[in-house]
Amino acid sequence: MNKFAKRLRALWHRRQLDRDLADEMAFHLEMNRRHGAAARFGNVTAFQETCRDLWAFTALEAWWQDVRFALRTLRGSPLVTSTAIVALALGIGANTTVFTIVGSALRFDMAVDHIDRIVAIHPGAGLANTAPDAPAPIDFLNLRSQVRTVENLAAYRFSFVNVSDRHALPERCWRVQMTASGWAMVRPKPQLGREFGPEDERSNATPAVILSHRLWERRYGDDPAIVGKYIRIDDVDHMVVGVMPAGEQFPEDTDLWTPVTLNDLGRPDFLRSLLIFGRLANGTTLSAAQSEIDGVARRAIAQKVDGPVVNVRPFLEMIGIYDARAMLYAMLFAVAFVLLIVCADVANLMLGRAAARVREISIRIAIGAGRARIVRQLLVESVLLSAAGGIAGWLVALAGLHWFDNLSAQGRRPSWIHFAMDARGFLYLAGISVAAGILFGLAPALQLAKVDVNGAIKDGGRGAEGPRGRKLAGLLVGFQMALCVILLAASGLMIHSTVKLYNAPLSFEPANVLTMRVDLPETKYSDRDSVRRFYDRLKSDLAHLPGVSSVSLASHLPMAGWREFRGEVEGTPGKPPVMGELDGLTVDAAYFPALDVRLRQGRVFDENGQSQVVVNERFAAMFWGGGNPVGKRLRIAGRDGPQPWLTVIGVAADIQQDRVRPLGNAPLIYLPYNQDPQASVYVIARTAIPPAHLVESFRRTVQSLDENLPAQDVLPLADHIAQQRLNVTSFGKLFSIFAAIALVLAWVGLYAVVAHAVSRRTQEIGIRMAVGGTRKDIFGLVVKQGMRQVLGGFAAGLPVAMLVTRGLSHGLVGVSPSDPATYAGVATVLGIAGLLGCAIPARRAIHVDPLAALRHE
Amino acid sequence: MGKPNRGELVQGTLDMLVLKTLARGPMHGWGIAQSIQQISEDVLRVEEGSLYPALHRMELDGLIDAEWGQSDNKRRAKFYRLTGRGRIALADETDHWQLLARAIARVMETA
Repeated sequence: MNKFAKRLRALWHRRQLDRDLADEMAFHLEMNRRHGAAARFGNVTAFQETCRDLWAFTALEAWWQDVRFALRTLRGSPLVTSTAIVALALGIGANTTVFTIVGSALRFDMAVDHIDRIVAIHPGAGLANTAPDAPAPIDFLNLRSQVRTVENLAAYRFSFVNVSDRHALPERCWRVQMTASGWAMVRPKPQLGREFGPEDERSNATPAVILSHRLWERRYGDDPAIVGKYIRIDDVDHMVVGVMPAGEQFPEDTDLWTPVTLNDLGRPDFLRSLLIFGRLANGTTLSAAQSEIDGVARRAIAQKVDGPVVNVRPFLEMIGIYDARAMLYAMLFAVAFVLLIVCADVANLMLGRAAARVREISIRIAIGAGRARIVRQLLVESVLLSAAGGIAGWLVALAGLHWFDNLSAQGRRPSWIHFAMDARGFLYLAGISVAAGILFGLAPALQLAKVDVNGAIKDGGRGAEGPRGRKLAGLLVGFQMALCVILLAASGLMIHSTVKLYNAPLSFEPANVLTMRVDLPETKYSDRDSVRRFYDRLKSDLAHLPGVSSVSLASHLPMAGWREFRGEVEGTPGKPPVMGELDGLTVDAAYFPALDVRLRQGRVFDENGQSQVVVNERFAAMFWGGGNPVGKRLRIAGRDGPQPWLTVIGVAADIQQDRVRPLGNAPLIYLPYNQDPQASVYVIARTAIPPAHLVESFRRTVQSLDENLPAQDVLPLADHIAQQRLNVTSFGKLFSIFAAIALVLAWVGLYAVVAHAVSRRTQEIGIRMAVGGTRKDIFGLVVKQGMRQVLGGFAAGLPVAMLVTRGLSHGLVGVSPSDPATYAGVATVLGIAGLLGCAIPARRAIHVDPLAALRHE
Repeated sequence: MGKPNRGELVQGTLDMLVLKTLARGPMHGWGIAQSIQQISEDVLRVEEGSLYPALHRMELDGLIDAEWGQSDNKRRAKFYRLTGRGRIALADETDHWQLLARAIARVMETA
């Protein structure tokens, strides 16, 4: 048996070890006595201790002793213990949930290495004033041959394609055309076949396709022999050359990839829709790349341009969540505040109990326990408590993540984001559990260890709480109130945003509207007439379905963006013409009645819509001020110069189209669909029955017209709107939950402190009443004292809240971060909560019986 | 440095003396102390406060083994016995001690 095992055995048979040691010493003494040896035997107990220590894991056992003692103490006050564990579970669980959410959302694992050094190259604002027929400034091949600051210059472009073959029903797929240089940067390699190389970029190359794992699985049933087979994309046969593995992919959400041919790169319209990107060369900066690339582009168009011709920006900036970073960090802060409030609460609980334990601790110090040992003992107790809270918090976090994962899956969520507990989250949980235990345990422990031993033992442990303990408790409550103000302000702003969002006049009627996206492949519907014919047919077929009242077409759904045109608004006497970007939608005449859009002035287009345009109120106000816009003219720049003038015939109410700022009303124009038939449009149908019942008939109607054509995103308009609002509403929900938890916890803290003060002062209150104090006086006294902490906390929290909530501005809709109404609401809520927290104990105080109170000693 | 007390053991030699004593056969703590005292003709006195911790330490280290048995006067006593490892340790310490003793003697004679 080695030493460790012997010790372990001794640990197990501790009683026997003690008995053996005693026996051995006793035997020795006995022998001494019997043989009349000098009775020099020293302190037997001390020898025994020395021997015993040899057999023990001394340090470890002391800890173990502390733990056992702590467990006994915690069990001794089950109410305090379980309250603390519940509060800690909420705090720790919420923190772990948010940490994991933020960590997953900001992971940016996009299947490309060093994604933070990837830059994207866009046309700059300076181009807005160049002639529309100027050569494309960003000629990919030209850039690639000249630019040195960006390595591996690559480009991709996405589009929807229709995949139709005998494997399954036709469906719409998200297709990415990417250069071979782009493939060189993608980390995952195909699990079957190969990726694209320069040979695929030749103009006469066989059309090839790489499938995403998702599509391969779903549509081709994991066919291991798919490579080499042909599939039909937009009515052209493509040979499958590879299948990508499951997991992260670049660009995300791609269903299939095709190459970019040199032929494609010669077409200006192709170049215009190309997204160019590359990796910043080692040692170069963004601004060096910006100036080099701008110079190359400037030489290419050989024309004087104000401002940059191209902009070079970090690729990550194009990702929605990148913009929401401030929001996510704000959330992390908010939830950390919740934990701090929890800690303050538990610290208060411990302080309360500490007062009751002064005597016990004093005796321990008196018989020789070091103060360090006492502090350690108390810290073991608090860390044990927070560890229990951590375990319960783990369950809370699992539930919270499950809830949030479901919530976010309803919206558009990048594929690389999964909200699930991971090792990092677990470490974080363990870390904050221990840290919280030390944080809330330290103050009471230090306070107890400093106790005046003589006084406490004589006093029966009553007077020992001391003014410092009370002051600390009061400070903790004030601190909680301050944190509460911050959280209430943040969630108040988010709730206010949500309310604004839902109460904002939509200017259209979303109920009983079914929408659907249809995309006609260019290969089959090559000219305007065939597109127009198809949609006319589709509209009339849908309109004949029972339950459908009217059918219309639009290039965009509400809250889902717009088309961008370049154009000109005709000048008026005294006002020069305006050239530049015009945003708008292409809609048919039935659009306005189908969505029930109110018309402010004039009328809508007739069936043909020739030379007619409708503008929204915002547009009218922007260009013609208060004047009557009907009859004014504007025109759009086409590929071959300006098109004929269009006359404004009506002004429609502002409909929210902006997808980024949900309440932003942009100036918009509505162009008649029949003048510019789009191959890809939304069908918007008003129904007489609940729209969800018509989803299947809509799909079938599309199939009956073209069996290779899928109907996309068939869903009620109300659902689409809920999806668009999800960002604001889900952040709002989270903040509200945090604030609610915080308020309850802070309230509990306040209540506990005031109630404790009342019970401590029972005698004093009794005397006051005996000498003639009225109940009103007593009530006022107690409430005033409690409210001092509430007011102090409010005063301290307010300026911090004003600062912190600035981080939220990204998520706020129609509400400024310093919205006075919200702050007034926060003050009210806190005031009511504070008064309640004080009034309940105060009520108890006024019912004190003076006689009983005086005899209380 | 205090004045060396007669009979106080040279540092680190107690273990060796105990092992040597046990080499003659199992013995309880009191017996070991007595034996050392008698053989050294009362020059070496073993303090209980050093003896027992030393015994327990060597037991933990596996140099000696312990067993409870009956003493001559029918009392429960803990008997210590040399183990194989203890024998090796004793041989090592004996060699080391002899080397040291000879060296000290030589220094003292030539002075």
